[in-house]
Amino acid sequence: MMDQTYFLSLLVFSPLLGIIALAFVPKEQEQMIKLIGFLATLPSLFFALLAFVQYLSGYDINSLAEKRNWIHFGKFAFLNKNTFTVDYELGIDGFALVMIVLTTILATLAAVASIHIKKEWKGYFMLFLLLEIGMLGVFAAENLVLFFIFFEITLIPMFFLIGKWGYFEKEKAAYSYLIYNGIGSAILLLVILILFARTGTSNVALLKEIFNDPAAQAQMMAPISEDLRYGLLIALLVAFGVKLPIVPLHSWMLRVHVQAPPSIVMLHSGVLLKIGAFGLIRFGLGLFPEEFRDLATFIAILGVINLLYGAFLAFIQNDFKMVLAYSSISHMGIVLIGLGALNEAGIQGAIFQVVSHGLISALLFFLVGVLYERVNTTMIDKLGGLAKAMPLTAGFLLAGAMASLGLPGMSGFVSEFTAFLGLFAAKPLIAAIGALGIIMTAVYLLRAVLTVTYGNANRDYAGVMDIRLVEAIPVLLLVALIVLIGVYPNILAEPLQATLEMIMNGLGG
Amino acid sequence: MMENAWIIPLFPLFSFLILLAVGKRLKENSAYIGILLTFISFVYSVMVLFERLNAPTLKAEQVWLTIGTMELTAGFEVNPLNSLMLVVVSLVSFLVHMYSKGYMHGDERFPIFYAYLGLFTFAMLGLVISPNLLQTYIFWELVGLGSFLLIGFYFYKEEAKAAAKKAFIMTRIGDVGLLIGMILLFWEVKSFEYADIFAAVQAGTVSETMITLSAILIFVGAVGKSGQFPLHTWLPDAMEGPTPVSALIHAATMVAAGVYLVATLFPLYEASHIAMLTVAIVGGFTAIFAASIGLVQTDIKRVLAYSTVSQLGYMMLALGSAGYVAGVFHLMTHAFFKALLFLAAGSVIHAVHTQDIEKMGGIWKKMPLTAPLFLIGTLAISGVPLFSGFFSKEEILVAAWTRGNTVLFWLAVVAAFFTAFYMFRLFFLVFTGEARSEVKDAHESPFVMTLPMLVLGGLAVFAGYVNTPWFGTFLGDWLTEGTDMHVHHEAPSWIMIVATVVSLLGIFLAWLMYGKKSLSRDWLSSRMPISYHVLFNKYYIDEFYQLTVVYAAKAVSMLFKYIDRFIVEGAANAVAALTQGIGKAGARLQNGQVQMYGAVTIIGLAALVVILALTGGYL
Repeated sequence: MMDQTYFLSLLVFSPLLGIIALAFVPKEQEQMIKLIGFLATLPSLFFALLAFVQYLSGYDINSLAEKRNWIHFGKFAFLNKNTFTVDYELGIDGFALVMIVLTTILATLAAVASIHIKKEWKGYFMLFLLLEIGMLGVFAAENLVLFFIFFEITLIPMFFLIGKWGYFEKEKAAYSYLIYNGIGSAILLLVILILFARTGTSNVALLKEIFNDPAAQAQMMAPISEDLRYGLLIALLVAFGVKLPIVPLHSWMLRVHVQAPPSIVMLHSGVLLKIGAFGLIRFGLGLFPEEFRDLATFIAILGVINLLYGAFLAFIQNDFKMVLAYSSISHMGIVLIGLGALNEAGIQGAIFQVVSHGLISALLFFLVGVLYERVNTTMIDKLGGLAKAMPLTAGFLLAGAMASLGLPGMSGFVSEFTAFLGLFAAKPLIAAIGALGIIMTAVYLLRAVLTVTYGNANRDYAGVMDIRLVEAIPVLLLVALIVLIGVYPNILAEPLQATLEMIMNGLGG
Repeated sequence: MMENAWIIPLFPLFSFLILLAVGKRLKENSAYIGILLTFISFVYSVMVLFERLNAPTLKAEQVWLTIGTMELTAGFEVNPLNSLMLVVVSLVSFLVHMYSKGYMHGDERFPIFYAYLGLFTFAMLGLVISPNLLQTYIFWELVGLGSFLLIGFYFYKEEAKAAAKKAFIMTRIGDVGLLIGMILLFWEVKSFEYADIFAAVQAGTVSETMITLSAILIFVGAVGKSGQFPLHTWLPDAMEGPTPVSALIHAATMVAAGVYLVATLFPLYEASHIAMLTVAIVGGFTAIFAASIGLVQTDIKRVLAYSTVSQLGYMMLALGSAGYVAGVFHLMTHAFFKALLFLAAGSVIHAVHTQDIEKMGGIWKKMPLTAPLFLIGTLAISGVPLFSGFFSKEEILVAAWTRGNTVLFWLAVVAAFFTAFYMFRLFFLVFTGEARSEVKDAHESPFVMTLPMLVLGGLAVFAGYVNTPWFGTFLGDWLTEGTDMHVHHEAPSWIMIVATVVSLLGIFLAWLMYGKKSLSRDWLSSRMPISYHVLFNKYYIDEFYQLTVVYAAKAVSMLFKYIDRFIVEGAANAVAALTQGIGKAGARLQNGQVQMYGAVTIIGLAALVVILALTGGYL
């Protein structure tokens, strides 16, 4: 059914078609450009959903792996064909597949949200589609060098998208983004180079094999000492910690949340932050399980700090976008909490949170876009009683807040619950402190959302229009997905079991 | 019927979904959909109850969430306790659906109101039918959502907004306790199933400390939901919601969920003496504490709200005193007579457009149906003999006495006196005497409103006879069948006399003060102004929370804000400055002099050679 030799490449690179098509469209053709931009996200979405459905019905996902010779270094080929080569290798497991599905869905919806973009649509959508390629590639890459390349591909379009189409302080936000992520990338590159130099490979599966097998380690170009392993893991923690972000590496993402256009924040908060979590799980936990175990308590504490720090700060923000930005920090704390638990429940909770928060933050930022379009502000104290003029928008906003604060029946609850279930087994005391975050989340979200939608109506906004149909469809889709995962979480849990089992095996039980 | 009992909660869910989708077009016809679907639920519940009378407990489950090697399940169970609850909940919900057709008539958001009612009823029935703690927790939160939405129904009012937010957050504080208790218990038992938990407790595989700890944490959740001290403050504020909602959610069903939870987990609590005592003390204290506040309030709904808090305290006291049947029995009778009182109060408010009892009076003649029905409810809650509340309250007192909780027993007796007093104070002020300002054009409510009240009135009188020391303890025998719990068949008869005497005394005093007016009503406020103010301001608990918890949260937030601004940002700026400094230093090196470049090259090379020599090329 699926052409296995090209399937993943098609999935990753199909937005390129849109970029090419856009190149031939005159830049004034707003409608045409928006339509092409939207349509270009659909092939990837289709392929991703196809793979997901096939996987659910028992298809072996490993057969999708692709491998083509690419780069050779030095003259080692006569010794061992696989040493010091970087091949073009794509491949996915259940976790990566889930991330790809998430990415394609959010990309399509963010393309819809891009109707609010006011200028230079052509450049916008070309960068937008390039960004999508980068994100998809990150999840599909089978070796570290390829991963890094895709990782960097996300960085550049994002820089321009923030800097050009953002709000008032967009340039500052864009540079802040570039510098922080640049440093993160540099550290990541260092780790990748060290691994490559020592082992002669950057293939993730191969690296895992080498690390697990003492005989293979002896054959390495140069051994990796225990200390170096810790060093590498901590470097990964910092590199991906910038992305996630882990407090105190977060200040860049606040600016991005506030300054970038909402459609881009949907992708930023929904997918790009998750690359941090993905990297930590796949490389940090995947390559250095023993060392990760030793750092677990530390990571759990970082998680609780993230959770509470973000929650308390979200409580006193006046800009609704800032509330959501700190809320993202807080919610990424749950990912760390789950990883710190380092048991089945914890890790599954962390992965669930990655997906769930991706959907929820995309929903909330979509609504922010809808709101800003009509009232030209996101300052909480200037708004109020909007449920009168825009009952549907207000209702969706409340639904988003409920999802975000972990209301059962929605995806946020399943992830939060599973992560805490894990941490209570491993470190009950840290978990008990973290549980305070569950209360604070409700406090800051209700404060923000109710101030905007409930109470006395601000007369200036009495006549604003409610959400339009074209906007309501993506919102309904997101809500439906959030509820689907909340009501029937196994639709997400089943595809993850193989990955989970592999991680648990790596941890030794 | 029983094997399909899972369908019962789904009818109201359909009502919610249908009305959400097309309510706008149906306008006030939405009521018929809501009424019809809850009626189906009610009929189904009754059939299930009758079937369960002669059938064993039924339980069916499916995998809900797979976590590696663990499987969490979801499903349903039909046992004596929850088949009874199904009927109570669906009946009261059905009656409130019907009543609301009159009460909410003319409201702009009429369909939304019915949609929310459907959502709440779905969640409440789902809660009742859950066979495990996790599923209970899920619906537990969803009833909270229903409650939140309906309290905030008049969203444009600042008070309603504040009350809704407060209700959600206060109950969530309790819910976190429940969540932690539940998870701790899970790791002891490796299951959320009630049956597994009880089996493990019975087998003694769970340590005594763990039982006590988790039982008390779960009880914290019940405290939040059932408005027990110290998490009670949201419940009186919840009266901002429409009155039918107060009857359904904040009197008969959701607030009783805490009691229901403790009753469901009764074998767990029984295994820990400390947990039982905690439940009894919190319940007993809340009973008298809330009753004392109810003595002086002037808002008709708030008086009823404090009375609800107080009566829920009674139920907790009963459960904590091992009076399982007494607690559940009172839960049932209270659901009927308190729903009746709220609906009757709503009928009055509907007619006079005020909630201030100082502005009412002399409505008896104008509302010939509402008034006697309110009186029935008042008699029932006051524990006047032959009414339902009398039997259940007496059971509670007996339980407290036989358990040996003497102090709590006497507290409950005093609370019973208070209850009779403030309820009749309410009755006399509203219905008797001269008509005061607001009641000129008051008239009886329409039939859709009085019919549900009539049904509840009948139940408020007769519901007690399913479990009496005179005619037989049918309810108790059935609830405890197959367990080693038993009903108190023999109780000291003086308890019944004491209970009767205090309630009659309370009524008599209320009559002297507010009916006959031979005693000054301002007795308390003039003689003891301080205690009057303390009571009137609800012991200043809200103010206390504002000064402590709320400000503490704000202070922590401010602290983090400064950390964020000065330390995190400061460090980032310092790094930036450092980079810039190095850049500038580097720029200075590039001065066009070849000697300088040569020197730098040599030094760099030397450094690299040293590093190579020290490390052998690899770290």
